[in-house]
Order: sequence, then C-alpha cells, then structure tokens
Amino acid sequence: MAGAAGGGRGCVTLCGAQIRDLLDAKHNVLFDCDGVIWNGETAVTGAPEVVSLLKQRGKRVFFVTNNCTRPRENYVQKFSRLGFTDVAEEEIFSSAYCSAAYLRDVARLQGKVYVIGCGGVLKELRDAGVPVAEEEDAEPGASIYNCPLDPDVKAVLVGYDENFTFMKLAKACCYLRSSECLFLATDPDPWHPLRGGRVTPGSGSLTAALETASSRKATVIGKPSRFMFDCISSQFGLDPAHSLMIGDRLETDVLFGSNCGLATVLTLTGVSTLQEAFAFRDSQEPQQKHCAPDYVVESVADILQALEE
Amino acid sequence: MAASKCTRLTGVLSRQLLDSVDSVLFDCDGVIWRGDQAIPGAPEVINSLKKNRKRVFFVTNNSTKTRQMYADKLGKLGFNASADEVFGTAYCSAVYLKNVCKLDGKVYLIGSNAMRQELEDVGIRPVGVGPDPVSGVQKDWANVPLDNEVRAVLVGFDEHFSYMKLNRALQYLCNPDCQFVGTNTDTRLPLEGGKAVPGTGCLLKAVETAAQRQAQVVGKPNIFMFECVASQFGLDPERCLMVGDRLDTDIMLGSNCGLKTLLTLTGVSTVAEAEANQKSECPQRQKMVPDYYIESIADILPALQA
Repeated sequence: MAGAAGGGRGCVTLCGAQIRDLLDAKHNVLFDCDGVIWNGETAVTGAPEVVSLLKQRGKRVFFVTNNCTRPRENYVQKFSRLGFTDVAEEEIFSSAYCSAAYLRDVARLQGKVYVIGCGGVLKELRDAGVPVAEEEDAEPGASIYNCPLDPDVKAVLVGYDENFTFMKLAKACCYLRSSECLFLATDPDPWHPLRGGRVTPGSGSLTAALETASSRKATVIGKPSRFMFDCISSQFGLDPAHSLMIGDRLETDVLFGSNCGLATVLTLTGVSTLQEAFAFRDSQEPQQKHCAPDYVVESVADILQALEE
Repeated sequence: MAASKCTRLTGVLSRQLLDSVDSVLFDCDGVIWRGDQAIPGAPEVINSLKKNRKRVFFVTNNSTKTRQMYADKLGKLGFNASADEVFGTAYCSAVYLKNVCKLDGKVYLIGSNAMRQELEDVGIRPVGVGPDPVSGVQKDWANVPLDNEVRAVLVGFDEHFSYMKLNRALQYLCNPDCQFVGTNTDTRLPLEGGKAVPGTGCLLKAVETAAQRQAQVVGKPNIFMFECVASQFGLDPERCLMVGDRLDTDIMLGSNCGLKTLLTLTGVSTVAEAEANQKSECPQRQKMVPDYYIESIADILPALQA
C-alpha cells in the first residue's frame, strides 16, 4: 500500500486493531514534533506514553522536525521537560542538525558558510566543525551599498532568523553571484504555528526573498526533501518498506514520507485538516496526490489504545 | 503596425514615429539615467521633445523618491521637467490605495519615507516606517500590538526590512479583509554609482510567502501606472509612445495599454531577447516585443532637430 505510484492514497481513518496491524509491519516510526507529539510547551495527551510503549515493543523511534531554532541538546531537554522519558539525542533529527551534516558529509564544504539563521543552526554548525563566516554586527561605515565580503565563503545557508535584515539579504545575494557558492535552505515552511492559532514567518519566507534576489533555487534540506531521511538512514540503516512517518502537515510531513517510500499517517492535532487531506487525495495532479496520507488518526494517543489492547 | 515589430528605428522612421504621437512616456533607470548620471544626450532629447510640443512623462517602478524628489533629480541632471510629470510607484501606490482600494483607515507600510510622504499627501496615515528590530521572544511575536485602524499592508523598497516587519505584516494579513498591495516586483534596485541591491520584489515575495497571499501590484506592467497618467492628462493611447529598457515591465505595459513601444538598449533587455519573444508561440511573450528598438534615446535627437 505504501509507495503506490500515481496516488490512490486512501486517507483511511485507523482505529485500534488496524493500527496494531500497521505497526506490526513497521520496525521504524518517524514522528514530526510540532503538532504531533507536542504543541508549544504542552505534550499532546498520551504522546509520551506512546513513544515509551513503541520502544518497549522493540520499535526504533526517530523525531524528524523542520524546526531549526534549537540545537539537539535543547530538544533533549524539551523532551524531558514535557514528560518523554529516555529520548536520546541520536534519535532527534532537526533541519539545523541535518543542514550541518549535509555541509560536512555531502557537500564536504571546503571553506566557510554564510548563515542567515538563529542560534540553533549556528550551534549545530559549530558542533559539526563547519566554519561559519563571522557576522560583524555594526561595522562602522558599512551600509547596504558597500559591505565587505569574506573570500572564504563557499556556501550560503538560510533558515528562520529573527534578526533578519536587508543587509543580510544583500550580503547573501552577493555571495550567491558565484555559481560555485552553494545555496542551502534549512526548510521550506512559509510560516510556523504559535500558540492559539497564531503564526510567525518561517524559513520559507526568507528563502523566497533570497531566491528572488539571486535568481537561484535553494537546495532544501528539510521535509519534504529526502535528505533528512537519508541522514537518519546513513546512521541507522532504515528500510523504507518497514518505516512509518507520522506528521501533521500534508505538504511537508506526508509528502516527505511519500518521497521516501514510507507509509504515512496524518494526525489531526496540528496544522492540516481531514478536508485538506481529501482534497489532495482527489486532485488530478500527481504531486498533489503525494500529499495525501495513507492513514489518518485523530491523535497519536490513538496508537496508545492499539498498543495497550 | 502589428505585423512589423522589433524594427530598428532609423532616421526616417524616427520622424514618422514622432509625428504619430503627442506624448512620450519614459522609464528612468537605464533609459534617461544610470544611477546619478544622465545617459549622454538624454536631457537634450527630452528638452527637444518639449520644444516640438510633445508632452513628456516619467514612469518608474522605483519607490524610493517622491515626485518632487524626482523632479529635483531631473533638474540637477539637466532635464526640463516638473513634479506633476513624474509617476513613480511611491506616488502611484498612494493614489491606488485611495482611489482603487478606497482605503478608509491606516496602512501598515514597509517602505521609505518617500512613500510615507506620498501617502500622507493623499490623506492616508501610514504606520511602521523606519527601523524595527525584534524584541521579546518568539511567543510574543504573534501578539505584537496591532493598530486596529490598519486596513491595508503596502510593501515597497525598504532598507530597514527586518524579520519583525515581516512578522507584523503577516499578523495584519491574517485578516482576509486587510488589503495587500505591493509597489512593484523588480528583483533588483539600481543605486547611485551603478551598483544594485535586492529589489522590492524580494521583500514582497517574503511577505507573500509568509502570508500565503498574493499582493495587488501597482507598478509596471500593471496598466494602472498608465491610467494614472492618462486620467490626469487626457491621453489617447494611440498617440502615446512608451520608451523603456525592460521587456517585462516597460514594453509589456505599452502592449497592455495599446501604446507604441520603443526599446532602448542602454539598460537591461537585449534585441536577442526581444526577437526570441517574437518567435515564441506564447501570447504573454508576444506582449514583450517592442515596435521599435534603438541603441540609445540620444539617437532620436537628429530627427528632432531636423
């Protein structure tokens, strides 16, 4: 059922025994975080227990998030704070961590990276040993009209950055004039949900500005691109046929699962709705069909019932 | 006229073309000046056109100056021109918000002081101009205090563009009744001294992406820029010539409005690009084929002085 070309993905709502049958066939379970296992600083009811139980039943559990604002060690603390016991740093794959891994292992960057991003990305780059171009905050005399460039910069990485300025956009654009300079984006999310149904601009909006300025397309690390799955697989050896992706955002999590040949489950505790899932399923365009999940659950807590029966 | 297009403008044709029009509309960057230098011969051409009793207008997507600031620059470079002949997007966006959007309320402005001034001159109060660095933490940002009199978001060129401005615009645009207008989509802004920086198009794309909404764009090739001039001066499109250096803005505007079009080669677009458009089957690309092209507008001078 998973990976069927041309769609036909069913959006089948699962309950009890069906979930158990699905899980029997899947050795690896990949969870998105925001809207799936937690919302802001609140765990989704039952989520910590689900993760523990899956591990007890011998499943391997991974967390795959486009959120690039924290380094992995902060995520470990958040998991602990929200009641998830025994989640190890190695099981957490954020777009920040994977961007650093990409630069180090895939691009094998010889030189520095110019970063439009926040603390989480900078920490992961440092931990991976990828040199970052220094950002001098207030150089006297520097303006958007003549900012000094670092000749060692061989890549530009753009992600969520609350200190984004026109100057950074102009500088990044200058670096990207050289076709040898790599152009990476942590993730494509145009906005991120905040508490209470509010939103904040995401990495995708900053990437769009830079793509427009440079007339170049970024290589996107985060979901729905395959790279995060390849990153996990290179460390843990995952077989797509025995892996399950659970997420709340059709255009990122489900499409990611589809791109990697995984079975996909949409949970309704986050961004996307059942109606939106149906619309993708019924669309004539192949790309849209790939955003329709195989299965739907109300909440990951539904898995708990299946495991406990 | 439709049959023969993309013709090199020679002396004889120049005379015929000029006789067939009463008004000439000029783009600025790459046509009459580059940065702060006039294209050699351009002031003489404009002044000569006026002596020949042609009306002259300046139509630019650049939102960083008011009409008066443009008039001052024109004067300094030797062009005989007045503020009411200038139609930049700072001015035209203000008119658009007032007359087309029928804006009743304030506008959240990502843009320049020039835009603020043009808005105030038509009686619209902008909020948000100037630096706006982020403060607080992420959870505060969705709760930035919003001015509940804001009924529109306007995006133009803004060197103070920041994440916080993008965030505020997004918060306002979450209300589907809030109007969303952009000055232009040009991806580069030419500067004094011949350099260029990312243009308004980049900032607009950031806001459109975050808000998942499309802006109404005022600048070329939107016909509004021509309608703005035409409504104030009673122009007959068939007796107008649009002179520009960009196929996708200037020439497209001319095609959209039924004007005669002249591409000058002192700026962005090339003859090869025009001819490629001409050979293409695509109707959109066909609109980006000028009637005539010329190396520089200075080459019209002999025909004017004859």
